[in-house]
Amino acid sequence: MTGTLPLLRFLLRRERIALPWWLLGATLLVLVQSGQSQSLYGSPEALAKLRQTIGGNTAAIAMNGPTRLLDSIGGEVVFEVFAFVAVVVALMNMFLVGRHTRADEESGRGELIRSARVGRHAPLAAALALAGLADLTVGVLVFAVTTGTGLPVAGSALFGAAIAGIGLAFAALTAVAAQVFENTRAAYGVVALVLGAAYVLRAAGDVGDGSLSWASPIGWGQRTFPYVGDRWWPLLLMLGVSVLLGAAAVVLLGGRDFGAGLVRPRPGRAAASTWLRSTCALAWRLQRGALAGWAAGIGLLGVAYGSIGDSIEQYVRDNPQIAEFFPGGAADIVDAYLSLTVGLSALLTAAYGVTSALRVRAEETSGRAEAVLATATSRLTWLAGQLSVALAGSAVALVAFGLGEGLAYGMTVSDAGQVPRLIGVALAYLPAVWSIIAVTVLFLGWVPRAAAALAWAVVAYCTVVALFADSFDLPGWARWASPFAHVPRVPLDDLAVPPLLVIGLSAAALVVAGYAGLRRRDIGP
Amino acid sequence: MTMSTEAAISITALRKSFGATTALDGLDLQVAAGEVHGFLGPNGSGKTTTIRVLLGLLLPDGGEVRMLGGDPWRDAVALHRRLTYVPGDVTPWPGITGGEVIDLLARLRGGLNRRRRDELLEQFDLDPRKKTRTYSKGNRQKVALIAALASDAELLLLDEPTAGLDPLMESVFQRCVLQVKRQGRTVLLSSHILAEVEALCDRVSIIRLGRTVESGTLAELRHLTRTSIAVETAEPPHGIDALPGVYDLVVEDHHARFDVDTAQLDAVVRRLAPLGVRSMTSTPPTLEELFLRHYGDRQAAGPTVTS
Repeated sequence: MTGTLPLLRFLLRRERIALPWWLLGATLLVLVQSGQSQSLYGSPEALAKLRQTIGGNTAAIAMNGPTRLLDSIGGEVVFEVFAFVAVVVALMNMFLVGRHTRADEESGRGELIRSARVGRHAPLAAALALAGLADLTVGVLVFAVTTGTGLPVAGSALFGAAIAGIGLAFAALTAVAAQVFENTRAAYGVVALVLGAAYVLRAAGDVGDGSLSWASPIGWGQRTFPYVGDRWWPLLLMLGVSVLLGAAAVVLLGGRDFGAGLVRPRPGRAAASTWLRSTCALAWRLQRGALAGWAAGIGLLGVAYGSIGDSIEQYVRDNPQIAEFFPGGAADIVDAYLSLTVGLSALLTAAYGVTSALRVRAEETSGRAEAVLATATSRLTWLAGQLSVALAGSAVALVAFGLGEGLAYGMTVSDAGQVPRLIGVALAYLPAVWSIIAVTVLFLGWVPRAAAALAWAVVAYCTVVALFADSFDLPGWARWASPFAHVPRVPLDDLAVPPLLVIGLSAAALVVAGYAGLRRRDIGP
Repeated sequence: MTMSTEAAISITALRKSFGATTALDGLDLQVAAGEVHGFLGPNGSGKTTTIRVLLGLLLPDGGEVRMLGGDPWRDAVALHRRLTYVPGDVTPWPGITGGEVIDLLARLRGGLNRRRRDELLEQFDLDPRKKTRTYSKGNRQKVALIAALASDAELLLLDEPTAGLDPLMESVFQRCVLQVKRQGRTVLLSSHILAEVEALCDRVSIIRLGRTVESGTLAELRHLTRTSIAVETAEPPHGIDALPGVYDLVVEDHHARFDVDTAQLDAVVRRLAPLGVRSMTSTPPTLEELFLRHYGDRQAAGPTVTS
């Protein structure tokens, strides 16, 4: 354990940029939810109505948690936000521990550290201590924002403690996974799988008789029932699991070589398969995992939005002030809601498109583009291969959203026709998403070093216009500059083809202009 | 400069700068078809920039560049079918295996010799089934080397290709390059390993601060440097200091020690002979001295191209 304390200080320094964002994100989720819930359902009548609406909505229960939480306004906040904050905090812990144990070992940085006067267990101990500190901070912040927004002290303390406990359990789980697997991605994969299972088991349990929820740390956290029952003992389960897993990690670490795992990585192919013969095939091979992740996430978001589509009418009747958020007002409220959610998914898809298009730059700075362009591959072929993933992948993501929302909404209203309808609605945003990718290509061609910053600024701009144009009272030209503002608000409005054509043609022109820049510039870092 | 065949690479007065940094400042390089040409220079002298220009990745600011009868920038794709390249610092895609990288790069260039690939995997002792993220630096380098050496390309551009290889692998590499040479193919070999250069190269070019400072066969380059002489004579060795090309002369009684420009050696020996030479040792310049003279900061000589 020698050297744990200096290492911990060093880790805090390494995390000084990323960690505050995680903490801020988790805290903001709770803060916003607490404010919103109390303004919407502050009165006992409003809360009772909500209980009635949600109580019969299986999808909402599966998304959020047990309905018993709806017995008090504080519980309502927990119901809405707990599972999401738990996921965020679990991921934060996974990255914190993984990054400073297995990832360091893999990169060789760990070797450098261990060659100093540092004990075998010190890096693991420092990483777990770091995670513990982060969890403690999250707990305190959750307590602070909930009591700060007027919720009872005891429930707030329990809320914060439960979130911190889940975080700790996942930190300890990651510590074990980091001993078992030789490569960080495999360790992350297993932890993410357990996290997904924890969410699903909890959903199944909450919809059913509740017993399955007891197999999930998120379920334990929600079953402390903050503000409703204030039950403290499930925290012991989290603590017990954390201690057991932490001890297991220490034992496993003691019995293995540096850099080795318990599971040998599966050997891959000795020769490339026949289809891996172009830069296009390579780009798909490299990005298929990321695309699958984004499409699944966006598709699940569609399921979440779709599942409450039918309740929205009832919901707005109960809470008329919500109607202001929807473009069409109270009339056509469901279509207005669907149009709004599809628009949001299109912004997310544009973010995916930008990450994929920016791989062009990553290939360049890593020197891998050099290896490819030194073969008989033209810059056009290379660019086209990379872009094929961004362009087709964003279509896949939009279809996933339409499919998810259509399935969930279609099931609640018993109309299979919603699936093709909402897929079509989502695809109406494809030209706008492509135009964001095309702008990214323009940046990559002419100002490669600034491309990432500029492309994300464009995404941020479009998001601000889409979400806050009215509240900020933005002038007409500011809205006009976002391609998303020109997409017809289907299904609320009719589908008009000319604006889509214009957006699509501008996107094509931008790609051509970007390629013209790429053609005549130096390739390299 | 006489050349029996058309030059594989011909660069004259090549200039390239990145912002305020001048990377290449009038570089000249002639590589004849069928020769192994050593490309030497200290770190940051412009070797990699030159090779990137040859690959059509960088657009020159000025000068003439011809490679295999074409323009590296304009005819990049056509030329790349006939060449293969090993970068000095290889970072392949981490999620795919070494075998896949070798096959992919070969296919992108237009095919590979499968039998040769398997031989090379064995000679270099590389497991192609491992993901490249798990390879050591030496093994990553082997991936790029095998991909290049398994091809039948007529020109090989090798940018410090053996960095990170152990001595055993180094000798495998040298055998492979000699085989390439016997097949009449051309190699441009950028390297810091002098034994490697001495064993493989027909001619070398030394560059410094983006300019060529020396170019020729190793014998010719040796000729440009000084030989150390220690001599004992019957008569006291007077008058040597008056001869051109003599440096660092130390005379004690009948003994003299000095360095002499190898070109002036004959004149010095003629002057010594009448004094009655009792013993004489002469030490030819080592390659290290040759390179240190050009790498070091002390002598920033202008270009003295010979051959």
